[in-house]
Amino acid sequence: MRSSFGALLQWREANAKHSLFQERFLVSLPELIFTDLEKENTMTTAPAMIETKSIIKKVNTSEGELQILQPISFIVKPGESIAIIGASGSGKSTLLGLLAGLDEVSGGHIMIDGEPLHSMDEEQRARLRGEKVGFIFQSFMLVQSLTALENIMLPAEIAGLSEPKKRAQKILEQVGLDHRANHFPNQLSGGEQQRVAIARAFITNPKILFADEPTGNLDSTNSTKVENLLFDLNKESNTTLVLVTHDIELAQRCQRQLHMHAGELTEQTKPLRVVSGE
Amino acid sequence: MSTVFQLAWRLFKHEAKRGELTIILLAIILSVGSVLSLSLFSERLQGGLTDRSAEFIAADRQLRSRELVDDSWISKASEFNLNSAYQVSTRSMVFGAQELALSDLRAVDANYPLKGSIKVALQAFGVPEATTESPKQGEVWIDSRLFQLVNVELGGVIDIGDGSFKVTKVLSEIPDAGFSVFNTEPIVLMSTDDLAKTNVTGPGSRVSYKYYFTGETDDLNEYYDWLRPQLNRDVHRWTSIEDDDSAIGRSIARAEQFFLLASLLAIVLAAVSIAVAAQRYSQRHYDPVAIMKTLGAGKVMVRRIYLLQICFITVLGIVLGVTAGFILQQVVVVFLADVVEVSLDIWHWRPLAIAVFTGVICSVLFSLYPLLQLFSVPPLRVLRRDINTTLSSKTLQFATSGIAVFLLMWVYSQDLMISAILFVSGIILVVLLLGVTHLLIMLGRKLGSGKMGAWTLAWARIRRRAMGNSVQLISFSITIMLLLVVLVMRNDMVEQWRAQLPEGTPNYFISNITESQRIGLENQFEQNNVTGGDFYPVARGRFVAINDEKIRTEVTKEDKEVADEGRQGLGREANLTWGTELQMGNKIVEGEWLDSWQEGEPYPLSIESQIAERLDIKLGDKLTFNIGSEVITATVTSLREVNWQTMQPNFFFVLHPKAVENFIPTYITSFNLDESRKAEITKLMAPFASVTLFDVDARINQLREIIEQVSVAVEFILILVLIAGSLVLIAQVQASMDERLQELAILRTLGAKGWMIRFSVINEFIIIGFVAGLMAAISNEFSLYMLQTNVFQMEAGLHLEYWVIAPIIGALTVGLLGAIGCWRLLSLNTGELLRKMV
Repeated sequence: MRSSFGALLQWREANAKHSLFQERFLVSLPELIFTDLEKENTMTTAPAMIETKSIIKKVNTSEGELQILQPISFIVKPGESIAIIGASGSGKSTLLGLLAGLDEVSGGHIMIDGEPLHSMDEEQRARLRGEKVGFIFQSFMLVQSLTALENIMLPAEIAGLSEPKKRAQKILEQVGLDHRANHFPNQLSGGEQQRVAIARAFITNPKILFADEPTGNLDSTNSTKVENLLFDLNKESNTTLVLVTHDIELAQRCQRQLHMHAGELTEQTKPLRVVSGE
Repeated sequence: MSTVFQLAWRLFKHEAKRGELTIILLAIILSVGSVLSLSLFSERLQGGLTDRSAEFIAADRQLRSRELVDDSWISKASEFNLNSAYQVSTRSMVFGAQELALSDLRAVDANYPLKGSIKVALQAFGVPEATTESPKQGEVWIDSRLFQLVNVELGGVIDIGDGSFKVTKVLSEIPDAGFSVFNTEPIVLMSTDDLAKTNVTGPGSRVSYKYYFTGETDDLNEYYDWLRPQLNRDVHRWTSIEDDDSAIGRSIARAEQFFLLASLLAIVLAAVSIAVAAQRYSQRHYDPVAIMKTLGAGKVMVRRIYLLQICFITVLGIVLGVTAGFILQQVVVVFLADVVEVSLDIWHWRPLAIAVFTGVICSVLFSLYPLLQLFSVPPLRVLRRDINTTLSSKTLQFATSGIAVFLLMWVYSQDLMISAILFVSGIILVVLLLGVTHLLIMLGRKLGSGKMGAWTLAWARIRRRAMGNSVQLISFSITIMLLLVVLVMRNDMVEQWRAQLPEGTPNYFISNITESQRIGLENQFEQNNVTGGDFYPVARGRFVAINDEKIRTEVTKEDKEVADEGRQGLGREANLTWGTELQMGNKIVEGEWLDSWQEGEPYPLSIESQIAERLDIKLGDKLTFNIGSEVITATVTSLREVNWQTMQPNFFFVLHPKAVENFIPTYITSFNLDESRKAEITKLMAPFASVTLFDVDARINQLREIIEQVSVAVEFILILVLIAGSLVLIAQVQASMDERLQELAILRTLGAKGWMIRFSVINEFIIIGFVAGLMAAISNEFSLYMLQTNVFQMEAGLHLEYWVIAPIIGALTVGLLGAIGCWRLLSLNTGELLRKMV
């Protein structure tokens, strides 16, 4: 399914070499923010896994409405890995929440695997998350009253997949924790908990994996283990990875890095350049 | 659905095993257990007491009639599976060899009595023993006094009307003899088969009939429903022990109200604990809900999972609660077996139904708002831990909880008054407490700054956790207030019961004392060191007119026509007394006492307020009495409240001595003779052969026993409510632990000393407990005043001692519970605390 935004892109692609007037006219359109490099990129790749167009986020505070995300647009291809980096409070997690459908945008468009996330209600977003998205969090976010195996089974059961236990056992083996299947999260180390979380994220073979500071709570040894596991599984299952981190080294393992500052996407590196706001 | 069920069951199973559900389970177990044990115990106790009390009317129900009733009424009773018996009574002269005396003649059938027993003795004034027999044809059993009065011996013959009968036993007691010092005639018991032989029930005689019924309550009620349309208010009277206006009847009625009150409070306590526990349960599940939503679970799925979990918890709680409640009351029954008489029927369905209903309603209603909050937790919480729930309406929460509590109380008690009083007290308390919390917060701002110490930290925390603390303060106060209400009610009630029968309560009454005998008796008492009561002059008079309007008098066959006309009267002769000193236990409620009378004014009269209300007599009304051949007219100048529960002679009408100065009275008095001196009674009374002596020891002992039993039962209920209240307090302390964790971790990390943190937490609880206790004591006064004056018909007063005791006990208890509850948390090191926070 193509959105109006997609149609606009097509129209722009078809008129790549048009007059200065047309250029100016088009550039003045608020939604038009792509650089030439992007144009090339968009034109030459397969349909995007994530497409954002001028997404903004406003919140109500005691002092009135506050815009915490400036219009942001970018595209992520299937199987691509991107890191969103920036200082604390720069809006990384807010952006991640919007991309993952955990929060609603205040304006703009988000397409996930061709589906318009921005126009979905909570129930539809939940369905989309269950079908296409996996999550890894800094604080692991395991259900404390379920065992490691049951935590991994949880998304499969919610999505109604067959044989959730078998799937969970298999993936638990892959992350090297089959001997810890019946342990509760508080009986596992931080590294082990994150491996369980990674296993849980991959059990439904998601198309996109969102990771929020996945090594933020781990020591360096465990961090390396978790990173390797994450990227291995990502590569193996050709999942699109969107990772939020402070860790430059971890970010550099991704194909692209998006830099955030004060709610704005300021810079895009390797291989793309800036994707900016209005 | 099966996935949802599996998920819900898995979560429930693990959480139950790991103790995560302990608090909410305990709350449900507590609510169901306490309601069941209280209701079951009170039902069994009431069963026991009613059985016991039924002995006073010799049946479960009694139909009194002035006429012989249709035979079909009695045969119908057997269709309702009821047992029946009957008694015919009249007054008749009894003739001995040479003497004669007026007697209270009771002819009974073979089934009499259906409850209780007839007691006989081997000789006059001998030791009474119960018998299952009743007089055979041709025989009579007579009162000890009658042996003296008509000079007859056991085995001798007496004449009653046209019949002659052999005296075969000394009659000591019949269950429904009633007690009145004015019923002076000795009883003669005979078989109904002999009644016709006497010809004493012919025209002109005053005959009354009593029909006795026993059976299951439902059958009795159904029978009464059938019978009621056929009854004539002027002729028939249907009574049960509950209608009994005697000291025993009133004590039981009051005890029942207390049980009801205690059970209501147990329900409120249970509801509070479930609300607290459900809130905590909900908060602890914010993360799992956010995770499930993030992983793709829709609202419906989350809702089903948690509703199922609540169902599992409720069912488990109810099963465990019913078991615990049953065992608890059974243990108490066994423990109190020697002291308290309870119904042997160990299982009653009504308490079970009430307990299960309470469990379900409490779980559903009080977990509803926390659950709605839980369902509204957004998935974004997985990224932003500070986001809790999108549903926040304290007004909605208070309104729904308030309505639920009130409905539950009303449905359960079916007494709008008790429910409204408790509910309004609760509201007043909440409003008061909100004000106090604001004051505390302001105080905290002042005291919580400055050099860091345990108290400074405690005050600072009170200010910071303003909302949490105000909720906690309110629930602590309500719990303490409810406990105080039960405690003080119990104390006041038992004290007033016991005050009815203090040591030295008269156990003998003497009537028919002449003026000269009165002086002799006074000397006799003094010489023999016997404590005698006042001598009251008595005259029997016929109450004939109100404001010169003729009133209906005793129904006899001759004056039936007259009887149907005019205002309602007493229906019997009135016992009049006179004097200018107000009797003990009497209180003027309207008008002025007789001593304010001035010569020349109409003679004043004081009337008991309830009889005045019944006969529609007001201050200023002119009442006319016939005493012998004299006509006495007096004006009502005061209405008196009379405590009929005192074992003292009490009177409906008190005249001024001037009104009856030409009349020669007899006197009535009472005295106490210790158990050890009982043998002296014959010698003591020997010089006064013509007076009538009543030994009321047996009745006083019966009354004492019942009061003791009810007091013990009330104490048990008090303990149960105390346990319920303590568990609520524990639940509340537990509920605040999660919130404290983070703060403790930070304080520890910043290097605060262990003892200081520990003391600051305990001090915070002490402050909250103190304030809660004080607030509870204040609102307790209001609740008690309303309950005692409107429901229990008791005298209300201030309980200032609790204004001191409650805050101290509150501070100590809440402080201690806080210390115990926090201990585990307080003994963790910094690392462990930080780990727990993740």
